[in-house]
This record gives sequence, C-alpha cells and structure tokens, in this order.
Amino acid sequence: MAEYKLLTKDFGIEGLETLAVYERLGGYQGLRKALRDLTPDEVVAEVKTSAIRGRGGAGFPTGMKWSFLPKGVHPRYLCVNADESEPGCFKDRALIEQNPHQLIEGILIAAYAIQAPIAFIYIRGEYRDQRLILERCVEEARAAGYIGAGVLGSDFSCDVIVHGGAGAYICGEETALLDSLEGLRGQPRLKPPFPAVKGLYGQPTVVNNVETLSNLPHIVMRGGAWYAALGPEKSTGTRVFCCSGHINRPGNYEMLLGTPIRELLEEECGGVWKGRSLKAFQPGGGSMQVLLPEHLDLPLDMDAVTKAGSALGAGAMVFMDETTCLVNVSMRLVDFYHHESCGKCSPCREGTYFQSDLLHRLERGVLTKQELATLADICDNMNGKCFCPLGDTATWFVMSAYQAFREEFEAHCGAGGCPVRMGRRGEVLV
Amino acid sequence: MAADASPTPAAAAPPPDDGRVAVNIDGRALRVPRGTLILDAATQAGIHIPIYCAHPKMEPVAVCRMCLVQVEKLPKLQPACATVVSDGMVVTTRSPQVVKEQEGVLEFLLLNHPLDCPVCDRGGECDLQDFTVRYGPPTSRFPITEKVHFNKAVRLSDRIELDQERCILCWRCTRYYEEITGEKELVLQERGVHTLIAPFNDQPLRSEFQGNLPEICPVGALTHIKYRFRARPWDLQRSRSICPECSYGCNINVDARDFEVKRFASRDNPLVDDMWLCDRGRYSFPRWNSTDRIRRPMVGGRGEVAMPATLEEAVAQAARQLAAVRDERGGAAIGVLASAESTNEELWLLQRLAREVLDTPNLDHQLEAFPGLAAEEHELGIAEIEECRAVAVLGPEPERQAPVLTLRLFKAATKRGVAVRRLDTGAGARAAVEAVGGGEGLVGVIADETDRALAADVTARLRAAGATVKRLTVTRGVNGRGAKDMGMLPGLLPGYRAASPAGMSGREILEAAMAGRIAALLTVNAAGLAVEDRDQDLLRRAVARAEVVVALESRPGPVSESATVLIPGHSLMEKLGTVTSSEGRVQRIRAALPPATATPAETRVLSMLAADLGHPGWPAEPTLVQRAIAGAVPAYAEAGNGGRAVFVAVPA
Repeated sequence: MAEYKLLTKDFGIEGLETLAVYERLGGYQGLRKALRDLTPDEVVAEVKTSAIRGRGGAGFPTGMKWSFLPKGVHPRYLCVNADESEPGCFKDRALIEQNPHQLIEGILIAAYAIQAPIAFIYIRGEYRDQRLILERCVEEARAAGYIGAGVLGSDFSCDVIVHGGAGAYICGEETALLDSLEGLRGQPRLKPPFPAVKGLYGQPTVVNNVETLSNLPHIVMRGGAWYAALGPEKSTGTRVFCCSGHINRPGNYEMLLGTPIRELLEEECGGVWKGRSLKAFQPGGGSMQVLLPEHLDLPLDMDAVTKAGSALGAGAMVFMDETTCLVNVSMRLVDFYHHESCGKCSPCREGTYFQSDLLHRLERGVLTKQELATLADICDNMNGKCFCPLGDTATWFVMSAYQAFREEFEAHCGAGGCPVRMGRRGEVLV
Repeated sequence: MAADASPTPAAAAPPPDDGRVAVNIDGRALRVPRGTLILDAATQAGIHIPIYCAHPKMEPVAVCRMCLVQVEKLPKLQPACATVVSDGMVVTTRSPQVVKEQEGVLEFLLLNHPLDCPVCDRGGECDLQDFTVRYGPPTSRFPITEKVHFNKAVRLSDRIELDQERCILCWRCTRYYEEITGEKELVLQERGVHTLIAPFNDQPLRSEFQGNLPEICPVGALTHIKYRFRARPWDLQRSRSICPECSYGCNINVDARDFEVKRFASRDNPLVDDMWLCDRGRYSFPRWNSTDRIRRPMVGGRGEVAMPATLEEAVAQAARQLAAVRDERGGAAIGVLASAESTNEELWLLQRLAREVLDTPNLDHQLEAFPGLAAEEHELGIAEIEECRAVAVLGPEPERQAPVLTLRLFKAATKRGVAVRRLDTGAGARAAVEAVGGGEGLVGVIADETDRALAADVTARLRAAGATVKRLTVTRGVNGRGAKDMGMLPGLLPGYRAASPAGMSGREILEAAMAGRIAALLTVNAAGLAVEDRDQDLLRRAVARAEVVVALESRPGPVSESATVLIPGHSLMEKLGTVTSSEGRVQRIRAALPPATATPAETRVLSMLAADLGHPGWPAEPTLVQRAIAGAVPAYAEAGNGGRAVFVAVPA
C-alpha cells in the first residue's frame, strides 16, 4: 500500500463501514481535535492553507468557497453533493460504501467550520444501497453523540439529513441540487446570487463533493501545511481516479497528484487490454475533451491537464483502445446529454437533440459532409451559450474528437456503416 | 424614463455619484441608474434586443438565450435580460459573434416548432415569426421528419387551449402564475426536448386571470378559445379604449373586424392595470356584438301605436311632451334617469337638461343611494396601494367588483411588502383597526360603495390612531364614479356641491312614477339601472305607468317597450367620450364599431332636445362637452385625458 494514500488507505479492512472499526482506526479524532483545539475560523484557515480544490469537477478551492459566506447571516447550510452521475465516475460510491464514517466526519468538520446547524447529503436516486448505508451510519454517529445537539459535549450542534434524488444528472449541478432538495423541479438557478450568498431556502449555503469532504479529517489531523506539501503547488493532495474502458484492471485508484498519467495506466490499471495500443482517453469523465496517447506523460495536475485542452474534472479516466470508433463514443455521450438535458434553456434542450440526430446518422454512415460541418456549427452555437455547464460540456468531447480524428469522422460520411467498427476486412472488431 | 446622453465616459471628468453608471451600448454612451439591466438600458437607447423569456413585469430567468450580447472583457456572451450594467461597461448587441448566436438560438427554437403559421392565431403578431425574419437564419438545417410532436389542442379550461407543439418553453406562463397571480396552475413536465407545459395534476385552470396567458405567450401556444381561428391580426381594426365591465378603468385595445369585436386586448397602463385584465372583462366582448338593437326613432303617445319617425320629429315630439308636463305640473313631476353605462359627456348634458331646462331635482344614475358618499372617498390611487404601509380591504366585494385589484394587492404584498389585510365586513370597524395596527404611515382603506359608512368609520378610527389614511371606493358600473362626479345625483351638483332642493333618488323616482306623482321620465341607457330581476320588474312597471317616457336606449328592454318617444343610442363600443374610474382617472373610450343606427350620438341628441326646449347653442360633440366640463369642474380640468380627478375637500 502506497504511503501517500489517505482516503482509500483503510479500504478493505473488515467492518470499516461500522463506527467501532472506524473509531479503532483513529476515526473521529479529526472532529474531536477541531472541536477541542480549533475555532471555526481556524478550521477554515487550515483548509485554506491545505489549498485543497473541490473534487466535484470544477476544482474550485474549498477554503475560498467557504470564505464567500456573508458574515453574520444565519442559518447557513452545508449540502453534500453525492449526486455522482458523471459518465465514468464511481469514486464517491466507493467512498460511501467502504468508508462512510470518514465522509460523515468530514461533513461535521465542514459544518463546524461554516457553523451550519444542518447538513444535507443529496445522494443520487440510483444509489439506493449507498443511501441506506449513509442513513445507518448517520444513526450510528447520532447515537454516539457525533451528530445532534451539542456534538461531543461542545456547544456546536449539527444535524445530518440524507436525501435521495430522483435520478437526474443535472441535479449534480449545485443550484439544481438545491432546487431538487427544496422539492422543486431539479433545474439550475440563475447565478448570481451564488449559493454562498443565497442558496438552500434562500440562506447562505456551501455545496461540497463527497471526496472533498472525506479529505477534511486528514487535513485537520495532520495540518493544512502538511497537505499542501503533497503534490504540485496548485493541485495539492491525492485524488481518487475512476479508471474504466479498455484496460486490464478497471477500478478506483487513489493517486498523488502530480504523478504522470502513464503511471496510473501502466502500473495501477495494468495497461491497455488484449495487448492493444491506446487510441485516446478522456481524463475527467463524459464531459471532458478527448486526449491522445502523447498526453500520457502529463502529470495528474488539474492545471497541466487543463492547459493540454481537457480537464481532470470529476476524476473519471476512460481509456479507449485502437479499435474504438470515436464517432460511436461521441454518439453515446451525446445521447446521454440529450437524455439528461433538463430542458431549461433552448441551446441545450434543442441542441443536444440536433447533435444526437446528426451523430446517429453519421454513425450509420448516412450523413453528408455538409451535414458534418453543420454538426461542428451546432456545437459552436451551444458552447458557452447555455444556461449551465451541461449544455456546454455536451459539445466538448464531440468537438475535440472531431478535431483530433477529423479523417475518421469524414470517413463515416456516406460510408453506409461505421468504417471503424466494420474494419478494413469487413469484420467487426469490437 | 429617458436616458441622459452624455459624452464618452473616458473623455469626461468623473461625474459625481448620482446613483447612475456610465455604459456604452453599440457605441452609444448613456448613463442609467445603478442596477439597470442591459436589456432596459438598450431599450432606453433605442436599441432592440430580441427576447422571449424576459418580460417587463417579471423577474429575469434567462432561459431562452435569445438576448445574449457581447460585453467587453467577458469571455462568454451574457444574457442582456439578467445582467446588470456596471460602470464603464461596453456592450455590443450586433457583433458577428452575437449575430451567429442569435441565428443559432432561432434555429434551435424552430427545430421542433411546427410550420403551421398559416393557421396559427398568432401569425402576424408572433415574436418567433418576427425575430426569425429579423435575426434568424434563412433556412433550417434540421430534417423536418425528425421533429418531436406534441398534443396540438390541450383544453386547459373553458377559456384557454394550449398547443404544446408551438410552445418554446419561455416559462412566461408558469412565472405569471407564480409572480403575478400567486396561483400555480401550470407546470413543466418531462425534461429535455420532451419538456412540456401542462396543467398541474391535469386539473382545469380555475384562475380568474387566465386570459392574460395567451397575451404573454410569445408564440401561438396558449390561445383564447373565444378567439381561436377567428381572425388574423392584420385584419383587425384596433381602437384604444377602456374595459366596459367595471369601474376599475383597465386600458384595453378593442380589436374588431367585419363590424364585430373579436377580442379585448390589454393595453399597459402601469398606474391602473399593469397590463393585466380579468377574464370577466376580457371575455365580455361578445355582448357588444349583439344584433338585438334599436335602430330607428319611434314616436307614439300612451294608447297609440308607436310609429317610426325621423330624428327631428322624435326630438320635437319629446320636447313637446316634456314641456307639457313641466309647464302643467312643474318640474318636480319629471324624473331623469341614467345609468353608469353612459359617458361623462352624456351625463353632464343630461344633468344640465334636468336642472336648467326641465327644472327638476329628481335625477339619478342608480337605484340605491348608498349612504355616506364623500368626495374624498377615492383619494387613494391604484398605484399608490404599493406605497402604503398597510391596506385594509373591507369584505370580498371590492375584489369581486374589480377583479384586477386582486393582482395589484398581490404585487403590493409580495414585491413591496405591503401588509394587505382582507377583513370581514361583519366584524366591524374596531376589528379592522386591530388588523391593520395603529401608528404612522400611509394606510389604504378599500371598500365597495355599499360599505361606505363602514369605510368612513374605519378611516376615522385609523386616523385617531395616528395613521395617514386614504380611501378608495370601488364604484359600480363602468362610469359609476363619473356619474357622481358629474352630479348625476339628486342631492349633489357636479364636483360634489350640495344641490338644493335635494330630489328623489332612482328608486324613489320609479316608485313615484308607479304612484302617479311623477308623470314624465327622461331616460338615457336606463336599462343598465336594473341589475336584479325584481328591479327589472319595477322599472318595467314604472315606465309603463308614466304618461311621458322619452328614452334614449341602445337595446330593446324594459324601458324601450313603453317609451312614448324612443331614440336609438350608441353602444359604448360605438362612441367617443370619457369615463372615470373608481380612483378618479378620466380616460377616453373610442368608437371601435360603426354605430348600429343612423341616429347621431347621444350628446348631439341631448343638445338638440335642449334646443327644442328653448336652450340653443349647447355643445353637441363629445370633445366640446369635455371642454365645458373642464370649465365647470376644476378637478376635471386638472385631470385632462388620463389623469386623475381628485376631490379632496368638498367646497361649501
């Protein structure tokens, strides 16, 4: 077990999901330390020092997010974003299944730091088992005095409420999450005002990702400065990467940020399967732009990957081998966005439908070259013009794949079928 | 509000902080109040930005993305409807990037929009059509076979039908229910491209304000059942007028075609209706299309068969009959009746005719004389409701009489924080004062005219508790207020000066006619007097009993049946004049239809009658009568056209 591992260090220990085992392994010491030794502002300062950035996708510095809360406006709320629904992403699920108390401890530390009397865990509807785990653990922690009035005998009180979503990708967007939590139709809100100023029920609200919060016990225990020393200066700590696709050992791997992507692929994932070579990969889940084998030497560093034209996003690595048809992948991803578009703004609602229609015809090989140009134009008309990032990101993979694999896209035009999947010899390779 | 033109901000010395910021839109520098949206700033500068979801009376949502503009130093295009200007902001509304985006959004909006403009009610006044012509792409790149289809005729209620396919999901209708009426009857269902507007729980709409929905809909999705497939907008003749259904004074456009009113449309007056109409008013238009009308003057004494006559003969006969009664039995034997359905000009001439020519104090425009009539009872303006600390509404009757008042009260309560208290009239004045609370600040008291006495009591008590109180009395009938201002009352002259001697009220006149004490009746639109059945009967019998009945009526009814001289009148849709709303706003009505008769308008007939009775030279045209009114009633001179005539203190 590598030394840098924090969140997944104890994975696999029998009974970790119970309070007793978690406590035996040093659990809830971070919360005790925060309540005993630190003021809320000092916790915020530690987190700022750690320079940890949000693990949900946007990578916004967590400490800075907390400091946007207006002074003296109460009550404030903490919302835990467990609506993990990015295509290819399954790290929060593992963190909840395997070490739920680590998350709850992190939630309580965050709630203490921002002085929130209630924390809501918004978990996606499909995660039914995980919701039951959390509900059980919350009750366990409540019985042990970690949750409720006067946490551990201090004058800080906090309740934790687990709320299941109803199955919508858009509810992972923080303001749509708030609407859904309030019992409304899950759709993003107009910003500003940002949730930090006017969030849940119109009160100042912080929305943090499961993985971000799971880091907090470690930051409090070992200090922000220690955490800041892990990884590159502006991309500190470790991250759990959800690796999937054409690799030998798919799964969640916690990596020290700054490690080359190649190391993740070759050593943790066991390389590309069936002895084939890598054609392309997506570093941040379904939303992010495609990268090529030449990008494997990039470090797992949010800024470095962004500079290369993609993003680490939610940390979902999807690897594609040489037999993959990028048109097919684009089609599947666009179908996802078409299905998940909330319908609020016209470019996303209609644009994803148009994209989907064009890509389906392209994959069937019945699209003309002129219509292929239309596809690029449609993407351009959507990107940056939508109400929320969903519509924008629906174009990113398609546009980047079209740029990087232009010949492959053009070969589909009028081909009467998918030239890649049929192969040159006419046999189906995948 | 006009924008100040100012030199380029960079060149000018830093101006003092006057709460305004400098902004440059398409090269035009202007200074606008801080907090102004780009959209409003552009409108002030005369620059058009296309919008669908934005609505001047609602909060921004920025969902249609039609109004995106380029703001210097910002990487993405910004929605003009939701972005507040900041000092030194430079905005471009027609850059190549914006033009491409506008074409893109219109292509998206038309993707699943049906191509049924030729049969769409909205065709010709449709924002989607107009903006596509002005900003849109020339052709669509989307295959027509792939369009998503929805239900084309969803009956939402007996008034509104929804074409879900034409809907572009601007959310104006759902926001209208949330922000303007406070009801929630329409919701969004499904998601993505399958999103649709639908009634909540499949329940029919029950709102009293549904008629506004088709008007705020930017396309032809929400339609009036009473207007569906009836006319094309370019065939309609539009006349600016006032809703004839109550005395709230909502401004309307009367759209007519082929001598028929096809619809009433709202005409925004922020001081009165705030662009919203009630369904009772909006859908009352069919009654003006009735062909059951009086078309020719008829003359016949008691016991004679009425015969058609020329107007001159009829007026001369009327003058002879009335003069005979006046000269033989005195003016007190004559009763003059009108209703709240006449214009100020007609009522003004009629009360002069009664007092100066027929020498009778017996004149009225209503059957009941509700006690406590005071000039100050309409001091509170409708828009002023929003400035009150609290408003007491006495009983359900004010809102029943003038439904649009409900929307103003809701706006005052939700957007201005006014404490609106709806009170039970049976609970008495003390309860009202308790509900509103004592202390300073402006308090509004709104009552129906039947509750004048209670309103006066509440007002006195609130004033004693330290509040500044203004009253608004909701009068009945479209010109119930104007009739009182014009002195169409037994005890009051124009401008609320006391009349001496006081004559009989409407019911007393009818009862006296039954008893034979009143021998002659002169009536103008008196059919509007009797709202209830038993009053209809009283009116019918009283008119039949009187020896002389000179009637100017537009429709056959209890009065016209037994008139000795019957002269056809013009309906409210056929004439020019002014009516005064409950708050005292003097507003003009205009002819939307040609008159159903060759007889001239009532004002001319009344001045002819005066001339035949020996008083020549009276003004006959409504505009000239208006001038005479302004000369005699100073409040009306101040009100002009569209202003408020306020009588605060009653002159002795």
